[in-house]
Amino acid sequence: MEPTRNDILLDVRGLKKHFPIHAGFLKRQVGAVKAVDGINFYIKKGETLGLVGESGCGKSTTGRALLRLHEPTAGEIIFDDPKLGKVNVEKLSKEEMKKLRPNMQIIFQDPFSSLNPRLTVGAIVGEPLEIQGVARGQALKDRVAELLQEVGIRPENMTRYPHAFSGGQRQRIGIARALALNPKLIVCDEPVSALDVSIQAQVLNLLEDLQKKYNLTYLFVAHDLSVVEHISDRVAVMYVGYIVEMAATDELYYNPKHPYTEALLNAIPKPDPRRRHRPMRLPGDVPSPANPPSGCYFHPRCQYAQDICKQDRPPLRDIGGEHWVACHFAEELKLQGVTKLNELPLIELPTRQVPVAPGASPTPATAPAAAE
Amino acid sequence: MAETATQPRRATQIVSEDDVIRVEDLRLNFYTNLGVVRALNGVSFNIPRGKVLGVVGESGCGKSQTGLAVMQLTPSVGKYEGGRILFREFASKEPVDILKLEKNGPEMRSIRGNNISMIFQEPMTSLNPCYTIGDQISEAISLHQTQDADEAKKRAVDILQKVGMPNPSRIAESFPHQLSGGMRQRAMIAMALSCNPTLLIADEPTTALDVTTEAQILDLMRQLQDEIGTSFMFITHNMGVVAQMCDEVAVMYLGRVVERALIDDIFYDPKHPYTISLLRSIPRLGANRGEKLESIKGTVPDPYSTVQGCPFNPRCPAAIPGLCDTVMPEEIFVGDSHTHTVRCHLYT
Repeated sequence: MEPTRNDILLDVRGLKKHFPIHAGFLKRQVGAVKAVDGINFYIKKGETLGLVGESGCGKSTTGRALLRLHEPTAGEIIFDDPKLGKVNVEKLSKEEMKKLRPNMQIIFQDPFSSLNPRLTVGAIVGEPLEIQGVARGQALKDRVAELLQEVGIRPENMTRYPHAFSGGQRQRIGIARALALNPKLIVCDEPVSALDVSIQAQVLNLLEDLQKKYNLTYLFVAHDLSVVEHISDRVAVMYVGYIVEMAATDELYYNPKHPYTEALLNAIPKPDPRRRHRPMRLPGDVPSPANPPSGCYFHPRCQYAQDICKQDRPPLRDIGGEHWVACHFAEELKLQGVTKLNELPLIELPTRQVPVAPGASPTPATAPAAAE
Repeated sequence: MAETATQPRRATQIVSEDDVIRVEDLRLNFYTNLGVVRALNGVSFNIPRGKVLGVVGESGCGKSQTGLAVMQLTPSVGKYEGGRILFREFASKEPVDILKLEKNGPEMRSIRGNNISMIFQEPMTSLNPCYTIGDQISEAISLHQTQDADEAKKRAVDILQKVGMPNPSRIAESFPHQLSGGMRQRAMIAMALSCNPTLLIADEPTTALDVTTEAQILDLMRQLQDEIGTSFMFITHNMGVVAQMCDEVAVMYLGRVVERALIDDIFYDPKHPYTISLLRSIPRLGANRGEKLESIKGTVPDPYSTVQGCPFNPRCPAAIPGLCDTVMPEEIFVGDSHTHTVRCHLYT
């Protein structure tokens, strides 16, 4: 990968996370689940990098390994800290890590299990401030109130417990906690996948507003490709612990260069009944990361695979314009991306009208005929 | 019947010659320690024979309970407070009211799993981990179709082949934990189809699956629907899946159907503000990048509370003060359509 530039906040090189498999009476290690197997990527300051892939591809593990919530097996994680300068997160001691933590935060997927049910909302959001010794007493309370306000929760709710809130509100509380220490980077680990569509839109809008306001950088881990397209500046696609493609969002969606990306994009059910299609056949299942196939991990399911794909694993390389692909035939293949959904109109909301026949109902005192 | 434009036509029934199922004004309450949950407040819809009806809505709107009610699988704290569920096996047969049948009586048991079967959301928890896939499928077959155990086994393998399982005889010998999520869902579909049901209820069948697996399963279900001609009730919250799968759609909100229409009308000419807001809030590929997503303000109200008037009025951008928050709108036909109904004061 190219030398670290100044506009890069996080530069990850050769990151690996292997989980050992123990078996037998002596619990000897007999193998490893290669959840993340040598990935390279970088995130620029102030951008959102989407990380997509199917379940079990290692995208959440990657997010957690960056914060050392999972201790990485190998690799470098170079973070450009405003105070400490460029540091390799993987090498830091516990104390140094604590100094760095305010700048790297995480929002978890499940808003029901990521908040301690025994703490009040005020205590949950205030905990990072206390641990880092940022504020105490009244100052702490004020800051928590400010944070809750920021994410759209009324500060009076500070003394309530998480069970009193809906999924969307809990996710907002999780966001407030992540924001508490003015971080630079927030890893969003599937922050909207447990929410209903209407609530999902609210949370996505909130994340975008906060990004603009505080110049945040997001690593947005998700499996929903429409959500990722909406929020990301660049997108990386993972398959069995390996990044297979990474490019600017439009480039990746409209001009994919990896057969797996093409299959993923093709599989999205399009919300347009006039455009039904039969999906491309992607034979078989995702291989197990404990026992991946030889060569390119995608070759047993790839319709374009040739002999070389069975032997050599293609490296992630730049084919021009920061479009990174791990495929031997990236230049030759003619793959199909997303076609624009421009036929389906965005229906305008109806405006208020004077009801024609209110029947037995009381007639509205004011008839807001020309509301718009 | 002479109807004028000013006299809205009450939609009590959409005209259809032959409905597999017709649900009329179904009401279901749950009596819990914390209070009464009004899960279904007068749900009406029908599924014409051989069609796929999509039931959409956010969590807590009662779509799963509607599906369970058709199978009489409602949890015991639930009490039906009214309504009928008319099921008609053949066009020539008299319809039976499922709610009149005894829950575990012989008639209900001969319908459940045989004429009406169900696919659940989570394939891991709905398969029994202690029995092989083949055993579980042949159980249903030997209960309803044949007495011969060997014949049932053979049919189980056939049906596994039909749902596109590689090496079906080996899969029949496997336990659920040996299969991947997509394979388990295929096994569930095989089980549901094993007795050639008249109606298949699919409750979020692809929600737990990855997008490539989801595409395969949807393709399989569509193909089987074409072949066998089973009627489907397809419960989902994913508008993309609805657009790809369904012929007709019922949009539910807080235990009521707020809009019913043919698939094309739902996407191209929706009427209810909830349907419109729902469609506007989904991120669309290649359409609204960089723009703000529209969201519906507020959240679905607490299930123990009751909302005065139209249930959607606190969140509705077009609510009429004094009317929408006091009077429950009737379900009416839109314009002179015979297939499109809406429950909203804007169109009365």
